[in-house]
Amino acid sequence: MREVEVSTITAILDTSLAVIFTWVAYKTGQILWKYTPYSYPNARIRAMEARFFTEQKFNELAESKTLNNFVMNLEDTDYKPYLTALPVLNSENIDRALDKALADIYGLLLKILPKRTRGFFKLLLEEWDIRNISSAVKAKLRGEVARDYINEIGTMVEKVKAIAEAKSFEEILVILEGTEYEEAYQKLLLKEIAPEEFETELYKNHYLKLSKYAASRKDEERIILEEFVSLKIDKINLSTILRGKAHGLGAEKLRNSLIPGGKIKRKSLETLANMEDVEMVLAELDSTEYSGIIREYREEIVEDISAFERAFDRYILQRMAELTRFYPLSIAVPLSYILQKESEIRKLKAIAKLIEDGVKPEIIKKAVGELP
Amino acid sequence: MEPIVYVALGAALAAGIAGAASSFGVGIAGAAAAGAVAEDEKNFRNALVLQGLPMTQSIYGLITLFLIALVSGILGGGFKFAEPTTGNLIKAAILLGAGLTVGLTGLSAIPQGIIASAGIGAVSKNPKTFTQAIIFAAMAETMAIFGLVGALILIITGVGF
Repeated sequence: MREVEVSTITAILDTSLAVIFTWVAYKTGQILWKYTPYSYPNARIRAMEARFFTEQKFNELAESKTLNNFVMNLEDTDYKPYLTALPVLNSENIDRALDKALADIYGLLLKILPKRTRGFFKLLLEEWDIRNISSAVKAKLRGEVARDYINEIGTMVEKVKAIAEAKSFEEILVILEGTEYEEAYQKLLLKEIAPEEFETELYKNHYLKLSKYAASRKDEERIILEEFVSLKIDKINLSTILRGKAHGLGAEKLRNSLIPGGKIKRKSLETLANMEDVEMVLAELDSTEYSGIIREYREEIVEDISAFERAFDRYILQRMAELTRFYPLSIAVPLSYILQKESEIRKLKAIAKLIEDGVKPEIIKKAVGELP
Repeated sequence: MEPIVYVALGAALAAGIAGAASSFGVGIAGAAAAGAVAEDEKNFRNALVLQGLPMTQSIYGLITLFLIALVSGILGGGFKFAEPTTGNLIKAAILLGAGLTVGLTGLSAIPQGIIASAGIGAVSKNPKTFTQAIIFAAMAETMAIFGLVGALILIITGVGF
C-alpha cells in the first residue's frame, strides 16, 4: 500500500513537471520569436522619430529667403551630410540629395529589421522602381525630358537613369531585359496596351507581390501588412475611379485598371465604376470605412481629385500610427516611420522648389501644410 | 524519484527559471536600449533604468533557493527528508511546488522585458513618458511578487523551519 502511494505521488509530480515544462517552453519560445527581433530596430526607430520636423520647423524653413538659407536651416539635422556636399544649390540637386537620404533610411531599415520582414521593405523600395520606370516611359512618350520625372531611389537606380537617358524605346527594352518589367514593356511597345495600362500592369504585379508577402506572414505581422497593402490598393483603385469619372470614362475602361486585393470588394468597385460622376462615387463611398475622408474633403475632391489622394495618404499615415500604438513591437513601427519620413522629404522638396521659384513664405507654408 | 531530487529540483527551478527569464527580459530590453542609444546617447540613463527592471525576478529565485535549501537542511546540516516516506515525499513536493511557483511567476521577467523594450522606444521618442514606462513595466513585477509570497506561505506553513 505504502509503495503504491509513493509511486502515485512521484508519477503525478513527474507528469505535472513534464506538462508544465513543455507548455512553458512552447509559450516562451513563441513570445521570444515574436517580439525579440523587433526590440533593437523599433527602439532605434522610435529614437529617430524624435527627430521628425515639427510644424514650426517647416515654417522656419519656409521663411528661408534663398536655397542657401534653406540648407543652412537644415545644418543641425540628419540631412546635413547630404546637402552640404552639393556642388550647386538648386532644387534639382536638393531633390537628389533628399532621395539619397531616403534611400539610406531604406538601407538602414533593411539592415536592422528582422529577416522575416525585411523582404517587405525591399518590395516597398521596388515601388520606387515602378514609379520611376512608368514616369520615365510616359515622359518619353510625351516627348519630355524623362530625367526630370525620376527619383534616385529604388533597387535599380542605374537602370532607371539609363532609361531616362535612352535614345529610343527599343533601347529601354534592352535595359529592362531580364527584369520583371520586361513583359509589360514589350506589350506597350507592341501597342497591345496603352501607356496608362502599362503603369497599371506594373502596379498590379507589384501589389500582387505585396499581398502575397503579407499573406505569408503570421499573427499581427499579417494583420498589419494586409491592412497596409489593402489601404494602398484601395487608394489606387478609388483614385483611378474618381479620375476616370472626372474625365468621363466608362466603366469598361476603368474595370481593366482596377487592382485586386483591397478592402473594397471587386463588386463594390464595379458599382463605383458604373456611377455617373464624381459626386455619385463620393456619395456611394460615404457608406464605407472611408466616409470620414469623404465628409471632410468632399468639396475639395470634387474640384481636384488630388485632394482625395492627399487625404487618403494622411489616412494611411494615421492608421499606421494607430497600429504602432496597438503593436509597439511589430512591423507597424518601421512602416509608420517610413511613411512619415517620405512625407517629411516630400515637404522639404516642395519647400526647396517653391523657394527657388521665389514664392512667398505664406504661400509656401499653406502649400506644405496641405501635403500629406 | 527520491525526495532529495524533488527538493533540489524545486530549489534549482526557482533560481534557474527565474534567472533565465530575467536574462531574456534584460536581453530584450538591452537590445532596445542599444537601439535607442545608437541614435542618441542621451537615452542611456532612462534606458538603463528600464533595462534593469526584469532583473528582480532572479533575486526572488535566489531567495527561494536559499529558503528551500535552509528548511530542507541542505544548508546548515543534514538533509531532513532523506527517507522516501509519504510524509517526506509530500514535504519534498511542497518545496518543489514553492520553487516552481517562484520559477514560473519569474517568467514574468520576459514580458516585463518586452514592456520595458517598448517603453525604451517610447521614452526615446518622448522623454516625458519615462515615469509611465516604469509603471507599465513594474506592473509585470506584481506576478513575481505574488509568486514569492505564495512560495513563502507554502514553505513556512507546509514544511516550516
